[in-house]
Amino acid sequence: MFLKFIDELDFVSSCRRYKLGLWQCPNFLFLVMAMITISSMIGTNYIARRYDDETVTVISVSLVTALIMIIGGFIIRGVEKIAEANIMKSEFISIISHQLCTPLSAIKWNLEVLETEKGMGDDNKLTPKQLIFLKNIEKSNERMLKLVNDLLEVIRIDQGRSVFVKEKVSLVQLTQEVIEDLGYLKAAKKVIVNLRDSSPLPRVFIDPKKMKIAMENLIGNAIKYSEEGGEVNVILKKEKKKVMFIVEDHGAGIPRYQHSQVFEKFFRSDNASRYRTEGVGLGLYLVRAILKNFSGEIWFESEVNKGSTFFVSLPIVDR
Amino acid sequence: MNEQVKRKILIIEDDKSLQNALSEMLAQEGYETSCALDGEEGLQKIKDEKPDLVLLDIILPKKDGYEVLAEIKKGEEKNTPVLILTNLEEVDNVQKALDLGATTFMVKSDFSLKDVLEKVKENLK
Repeated sequence: MFLKFIDELDFVSSCRRYKLGLWQCPNFLFLVMAMITISSMIGTNYIARRYDDETVTVISVSLVTALIMIIGGFIIRGVEKIAEANIMKSEFISIISHQLCTPLSAIKWNLEVLETEKGMGDDNKLTPKQLIFLKNIEKSNERMLKLVNDLLEVIRIDQGRSVFVKEKVSLVQLTQEVIEDLGYLKAAKKVIVNLRDSSPLPRVFIDPKKMKIAMENLIGNAIKYSEEGGEVNVILKKEKKKVMFIVEDHGAGIPRYQHSQVFEKFFRSDNASRYRTEGVGLGLYLVRAILKNFSGEIWFESEVNKGSTFFVSLPIVDR
Repeated sequence: MNEQVKRKILIIEDDKSLQNALSEMLAQEGYETSCALDGEEGLQKIKDEKPDLVLLDIILPKKDGYEVLAEIKKGEEKNTPVLILTNLEEVDNVQKALDLGATTFMVKSDFSLKDVLEKVKENLK
């Protein structure tokens, strides 16, 4: 605690980290203001004792107040600069992501043409080996597209510009579809995914497309952070006035000291890269943002090397 | 298939490789395709060629997709289905296109060519 306080006093390094000049750096200015406030209190006390004339005291207090206000102005400008940099960073990511979308979509569509029978010309079918390499390109491209789409979705949600088309949906079929779509991941890690649903499951009011993104991230994570040959359980059930969607794995787990950061943007647990080097830490942030839109809730239990269980609850719209 | 041969589709898209893939796939399905690289060329071709359906990008040189859409809806070809094909998925963009009278809105990075084909078939019935 004390060390942390001392750390925060080291304004030179924190200003350098923000890439700001000394007189634009809120940490430094705050320290200057604190020093002026303290010395002005002592000074006022001294002047008040020394001089009987009240005017002197009033003038000196006014001067110090003006000085503090000026420094306050500097601090506000410093904070504004950091806020502006933050906006510019988001815009930059948005522009780059949009720019990447077109060529990535073009690669996807052109590959699709190649894979059609007529794409290669009438007698010029792809050999099985060529098809494998083509599939490799396709998979890498899909990965890039997913990353770019996740980034864009995060920006859209942050700006309140994401499209949500809600309808009454039963989660059973949606979950089955998601598990099927993750087939490539299951196969790569030889992980078994069990779906246990207690049907008939009441319907919930959600955007199926967005819900799929959330489910894909949760089940995908469970597979990714499982040991090879492991098992993942997906459970759907009714609980009071909610539908519960639970994903349970027996894999890496999240260290206790990082539990509070799990849903933060760009969070990756310290032990994550031992299991998987890919990933930028947007998944769970996105999941929570999406669920919030459906009045849903998410929480988890996790222990290192024992696994994680994520619980999602969504309000029931009919009986 | 025979009945489809006569169906003409205009693709207004400034990215050549997207345009190529789209028109190849549509041609394979028996459609006649025509392409425009910018909004003005697109509008001219709508007048000259009277396509049965238009695939329209939003970010285009000279005239953007919204302007093209607005002009189509004001002109003689106002009943031609216009399918938006873009990567701008923000709610304001989608709403603007639909308000201007777009038939449907597709996001390139989400849709496979097969999905696009399905939407084309659906709207040519």
